[in-house]
Amino acid sequence: MNGAAELLLRSVVVLSGTAILTFILLWHAPGDPALTIAVARYDSVVSADVVDRIRTESGLDAGFWTAFSHWITPLLSGDLGNSSVSGRPIWPELRTAILLTLPLALMGLLIGLALSIPLAILAVRHPGGWIDRGAVALASLGAAMPAYWLALLLILAFAVKLLWFPAMGTGSAAHLVLPGLTLGLGVAASLTRILRSALLEAKGAPFLPALARRGVGPRERAFSHVAPHAAIPVLTVAGLELAFLLEGAVMVEVIFARPGLGGFLIHAIQARDFPKVQAVVMLTAILFVTVNLLTDLLYRLVDPRIGTRDA
Amino acid sequence: MLTVERLTVRRGGREVLRDVSLSLAPGKTLAVLGESGAGKSTLIASVLGLINPEHGMVSWDGRPIARGAVALVMQEPRAAFNSRLTLRRSVCEPLRARGLPEDQDRFFRLCRGLELEPDLLARRPNQISIGQAQRAGVLRALIAAPPLILFDEPLSALDAATQKHTARLISAIQREEGFAALIVTHDLGYAAAHAENIAVLREGRIEEAADADVFFRNPQSSYGQSLVNAAVALGALEHRAA
Amino acid sequence: MTIHVDGLSAVRAGRTILHPTNLSLPQGSRIGLVGPSGSGKSTLCYALIDRLQAEGIAVAHVPQSPDEALDPLRTLAFHWRQAERALGIAPDPARKGDLFRALRLQGQSLNVRPWAWSRGMQQRFVIAVALLAQPALLILDEPTSALDPVIAAATLSLVEHHIAETGTTLLIVTHDLGLAAARAAHLMVMHEGRVVEQAATADLLARPVSSPAQSLVAHRNWAVLPC
Repeated sequence: MNGAAELLLRSVVVLSGTAILTFILLWHAPGDPALTIAVARYDSVVSADVVDRIRTESGLDAGFWTAFSHWITPLLSGDLGNSSVSGRPIWPELRTAILLTLPLALMGLLIGLALSIPLAILAVRHPGGWIDRGAVALASLGAAMPAYWLALLLILAFAVKLLWFPAMGTGSAAHLVLPGLTLGLGVAASLTRILRSALLEAKGAPFLPALARRGVGPRERAFSHVAPHAAIPVLTVAGLELAFLLEGAVMVEVIFARPGLGGFLIHAIQARDFPKVQAVVMLTAILFVTVNLLTDLLYRLVDPRIGTRDA
Repeated sequence: MLTVERLTVRRGGREVLRDVSLSLAPGKTLAVLGESGAGKSTLIASVLGLINPEHGMVSWDGRPIARGAVALVMQEPRAAFNSRLTLRRSVCEPLRARGLPEDQDRFFRLCRGLELEPDLLARRPNQISIGQAQRAGVLRALIAAPPLILFDEPLSALDAATQKHTARLISAIQREEGFAALIVTHDLGYAAAHAENIAVLREGRIEEAADADVFFRNPQSSYGQSLVNAAVALGALEHRAA
Repeated sequence: MTIHVDGLSAVRAGRTILHPTNLSLPQGSRIGLVGPSGSGKSTLCYALIDRLQAEGIAVAHVPQSPDEALDPLRTLAFHWRQAERALGIAPDPARKGDLFRALRLQGQSLNVRPWAWSRGMQQRFVIAVALLAQPALLILDEPTSALDPVIAAATLSLVEHHIAETGTTLLIVTHDLGLAAARAAHLMVMHEGRVVEQAATADLLARPVSSPAQSLVAHRNWAVLPC
């Protein structure tokens, strides 16, 4: 099969699978969503009539396939639907949440890259040396340390003792420092390990000694040969890193009481506002599929053997 | 008697073997010569019964060959063993697979024939030399006394001197055991010294099949000639007044 | 000019892997360096390359497999330009044309990755890159083991033909005395990190003195063909 067509088909399968699966899971979630919506909406004890009305209104009584088609049809034209609690369209609220989370995710990624790239490069200069062992130890520590614990340590040190940065909330660039650092250190830990092993493997490539004997200098060997070879395994895990970043961002937001996707999702789940939950899940799936598509395309650019191998 | 009859194998839309016919009698050695890509691996896989041919068939004494009835000695001796098992365990695996008991006498006799210290087989593949590992590979192939053993470039990972020694050990044990040997190789020197029959495979077809004496004295196909000339040019064969 | 080096040696992890060795390789000669694997042939080669490069003598080494000489992610054109840059020479289409004709590579596009070519062609490309340096010494490391015999024999003939014109000395490194004897006029036998014997090929085959050489000679040929 044609490579591009196969990639697209795979993306479509993943997206429809995600849509169907989340819908099934939420449909079978315990409890009565109509009752929860009624309580969320009127904030008091409600009569059975009201609950029934909400059930009809939200299409909850129509049966699985009707409800599914009510949800999926507008989704196909890009309409995420309305909140079942407030009745307002989901997208504006969700967009606000994304715009709040984006700077945090970028900050985490930036800190992660800024720490892991130099650390990995230094570490592989002398494999098994003290810098290398230190880097591996730090990376393992970082991977083992839960975000909430690291966040508390950072808050204790920089917000409570030193009073350098605010511990909670949002509003200024200073508010971004501690959450960004929490996220970034986690990203750095996993990226350092991946980069280190990718670089080590690339430095062991069989053709490098011959290049050196041919008179090709160490700088050129590093940039023209080692770097592209190391990029391949790093690209492979780009999707996983994104998952790590998103999951981390949501968790960090909750810890630091920052509004954003994390708060949006948690409130939606607590209120049983399923259309909102589904919107977040679908958005995440689209993001993943896009990143994986891009990775695959980049992959083919760096290593043209992929995709031609079976030909 | 091994019979390969008008075998045609297609892979990915391309004919990798076309109309290949061969036969090999018990106790005899057939060397299939050819360059990489000529279809040698496909021929091996077909005889092992791992590939369904487009048409034609492979049989032993007129019956189709059951999977596992034929043994294989591979090119990379260490890679052919599970690195976590002792060699002894790996070597006796074909017996366990077929529910046969271990015959101690036979085991020690084969070890002697292949110049393998039985103690050596308590080790793991990376704790012995490549030459020893390849002889252990031959031992594993022999252990269940198959009527036919396939050798896929069995010597190419070994030193020149070890190659010749190993080849002599295999031939000596073949005279005792009487198995038929099908050797796939690009080493004409090996074929000249140890095979009675030669088949030249090129681009999936048999270019030439002959008795070894006839082939090396006077190869008929032009490709057969260039193989012999190359072997002489690379010192694998030598012309010398008889 | 005869290439002459004294006292080549190598120590790794406290163990001497190459005992002090003196070599003298007459210009334009073809020499075979023979010994079983682990006898120190590669160590001797790399020590020799380092020494000659330090003395400013051009030396080129062709590894046994093209995989050990070419980056699979980079085009052949990139490798060629890179080799030119490393040597500090300006792109010279005429010289490139000569080398490619000599190695039967003319008319091929270089804007492909190495694996788009057959292994035989890749190996000839690697040899062309090696000859670009106009080396005083060309080292071929196990030149037959990664190639089919017909291709390997043809490649060796092309190389020998080309360097006969330029006066380059050829060192063939191999475990196979049969190969070395067929291609070299002079042989050096290595054993456990020492050159234990050197002699003209005919002499060494007829009267090997050291026991490693005797054992190699005894196992030289598979078979002798009737004329």
